[in-house]
Amino acid sequence: MTITQDAPPTTGAIVATGVARSFGDVRAVEDATLAVQQGEVTALIGPNGCGKTTLMLMLAGLLRPHAGEIRVAGADPRTDAAAVRAAIGWMPDQLGSWDNLTCLQTLTLVGEAYRIPRATARDRGASLLDRVHLSEFADRPARVLSRGQKQRLSLARALVHDPAVLLLDEPANGLDPRSRVDLRVLVRQLAAEGKAVLISSHVLAELDEMVDEAVFMSKGRTLGDQATAMVADARLKYRIDALDPAALHAALTAGNVDFEITETGAVTRIADAANAAQALAWLIGQGVAVHRFGPVGSALEQTYMAMNEERR
Amino acid sequence: MSTEAPETASAPLPEVRVSPAPRTGNPWLPTPHGVSLVTRIELRRRRPTAKGYVFYGILFAIVIAICLAAAIFTPPQLSSTNFEIVLVMVLGVGMLIAPSLSATSINGDSGEGVLAPLQMSHLTAGDLAVGKLLASWLVSVVALLALSPFLVYTFLSSGWRLGEVGLTVLAILLVVLTFTAVGLAWSSLAARAVASVALAHLTTGFFVIGTLISFGIATLLVTEEAPVRERYIDWSTLTPEQQSALDEAYMTGDFSALDPDDYTCTESEWAYNVAHTDRVAWILLVNPGVMIAETAPLVDPETWEQDGRAEPGVFATIHALVSDARLGPDQEIDDFVPWDECADLFSQAEAQEMTQEELEAMWAEDEAEWRERDQARANLDRAPWVGIGVQAVLLVGSLWIVIRRLRVPYKNLRSGTRVA
Repeated sequence: MTITQDAPPTTGAIVATGVARSFGDVRAVEDATLAVQQGEVTALIGPNGCGKTTLMLMLAGLLRPHAGEIRVAGADPRTDAAAVRAAIGWMPDQLGSWDNLTCLQTLTLVGEAYRIPRATARDRGASLLDRVHLSEFADRPARVLSRGQKQRLSLARALVHDPAVLLLDEPANGLDPRSRVDLRVLVRQLAAEGKAVLISSHVLAELDEMVDEAVFMSKGRTLGDQATAMVADARLKYRIDALDPAALHAALTAGNVDFEITETGAVTRIADAANAAQALAWLIGQGVAVHRFGPVGSALEQTYMAMNEERR
Repeated sequence: MSTEAPETASAPLPEVRVSPAPRTGNPWLPTPHGVSLVTRIELRRRRPTAKGYVFYGILFAIVIAICLAAAIFTPPQLSSTNFEIVLVMVLGVGMLIAPSLSATSINGDSGEGVLAPLQMSHLTAGDLAVGKLLASWLVSVVALLALSPFLVYTFLSSGWRLGEVGLTVLAILLVVLTFTAVGLAWSSLAARAVASVALAHLTTGFFVIGTLISFGIATLLVTEEAPVRERYIDWSTLTPEQQSALDEAYMTGDFSALDPDDYTCTESEWAYNVAHTDRVAWILLVNPGVMIAETAPLVDPETWEQDGRAEPGVFATIHALVSDARLGPDQEIDDFVPWDECADLFSQAEAQEMTQEELEAMWAEDEAEWRERDQARANLDRAPWVGIGVQAVLLVGSLWIVIRRLRVPYKNLRSGTRVA
């Protein structure tokens, strides 16, 4: 997982500041601030009911925030909803499809809804179905699709008008392992094409390999720098297991390395791959019998777990 | 929106570049392109299921049976009733199907999660509202077309002219369109389809039956008591001789022996009810059924044969009844002759002298008066405008509600629902 680029801090594709929204007494989103840059994939992570979907709806221009500012592709959803809608591809968390219509008809009609000429919309639909591996279902009604296939149709629908910004709400839900990998590849491709992607998911291990940035949400608030620092820190962690943990601990102490003791070895922080290679060579040179050496695991998952336990 | 990223090798089909026209602001007005697209989507995706076809089949079997009966029992002479029955069937089927469809159109879509993706596109709230309205309404137009053979057949012997049929059919389609829009409005307001369908049919019921009940109640409110003064002979003041003389005179019919001065007259006043229906007749005109009947041609109860009409049928009868209410109380008040026993007493002798011819002339006069009233009622100017106005207000108002409810970003949500 690498930070792909350091884009100059221009205006992001999505910028939200201090956004709040409540439903009656329930304050779904209290204070959300985030920025998504073009060409980047940003994850929106948080427990169930923390306000992720509500925030996405506000970003999509479907729901009016009670407070705060939102800019999508430079436009305000409140006053310039049409421009926002033109810029956004939204994949909702609720699966909806026109059961009577075939997949290709669905995409063609949605394309026409974006004022794309019918023939072009049809071609575009066919190529998108190919891209999400649903070509064989092009002429079959949507009701025969499985949950994961509907999910992919929904993703294709979000891409119909070639939007600059993608909001993907739980896109990995119900996908089989193969489709998850495909989704990951596709999302990275889309980012490489310059699109800004905001993605929410609970499959954190999946996100780890997909995203450039992560925004954590808890009880309607986005956790800013603190969570970012935790993620950055978690990404440095390496697990080292040795046949003789005591020897490992001794070598690390002798080498003046900070580490945490685990049952089978130690966890330490290593800045990058080159350093890691060097560290491993040094350890082996010290005569430590290392049998496992690698990143601790999902940085996002570690951060998520480290955050205050919160269940609603 | 387009990017310059090269197409990757993983997609064998070339990526199709699209560049939708940029749009700004937050438009909500319906557009021809958007409305026709939404109508197409709705008509395609609401194709009935197998159960739906069974339902429509049963409905049409019943309707066609009634229409067949109307067609078969068309008498050899002109008769508009059969034609009017078919028209009523068209109205009934339309009012049953179209509002039911539209009343599930918005909350149903929202529940299925297919509304928000369309709201996210370039379709405006107006496109969605009008498109959904037209799609449901067109189903009723199809029902009209399906029944058109019966319409044509019964029309041929109805005595109606072609233009008049067009007018009444337009009125029927307007009523169906309006109540389809009302159903759509309920669908945008209520979270559950069951509630909105029930409310849609209740609204229809209110306008069809509720206006009749309201008219009945309102009539009671505008009923006034008209005073009547009567004079009669006070028996208690009479001597036994006078009483027996009076009895005698009544028995024999010979009043000549009586002396008016012997009999003092007493006056008494009482009241009888006059319903000023002319003041509340507009309630009837609000009724969509009455509105439709008011667009039907006038049929004169005296001269229909010379006019090339059938005898007054259902619609003409409705018109006559409504006109009766609009005209209000007859000259009865002016013509009401209070009972005056004292005057009667001494004019009886003259009455006896009335010949048979004179009596018949009097009766004929009475009958002519009745006919005149009949003709006046039947020929009273048609008054569909109140009804058309109400329909227009309902139609525009409903669409306004729907568009307001469909505009995003949402300010409020239907309680108990999510966006989607």
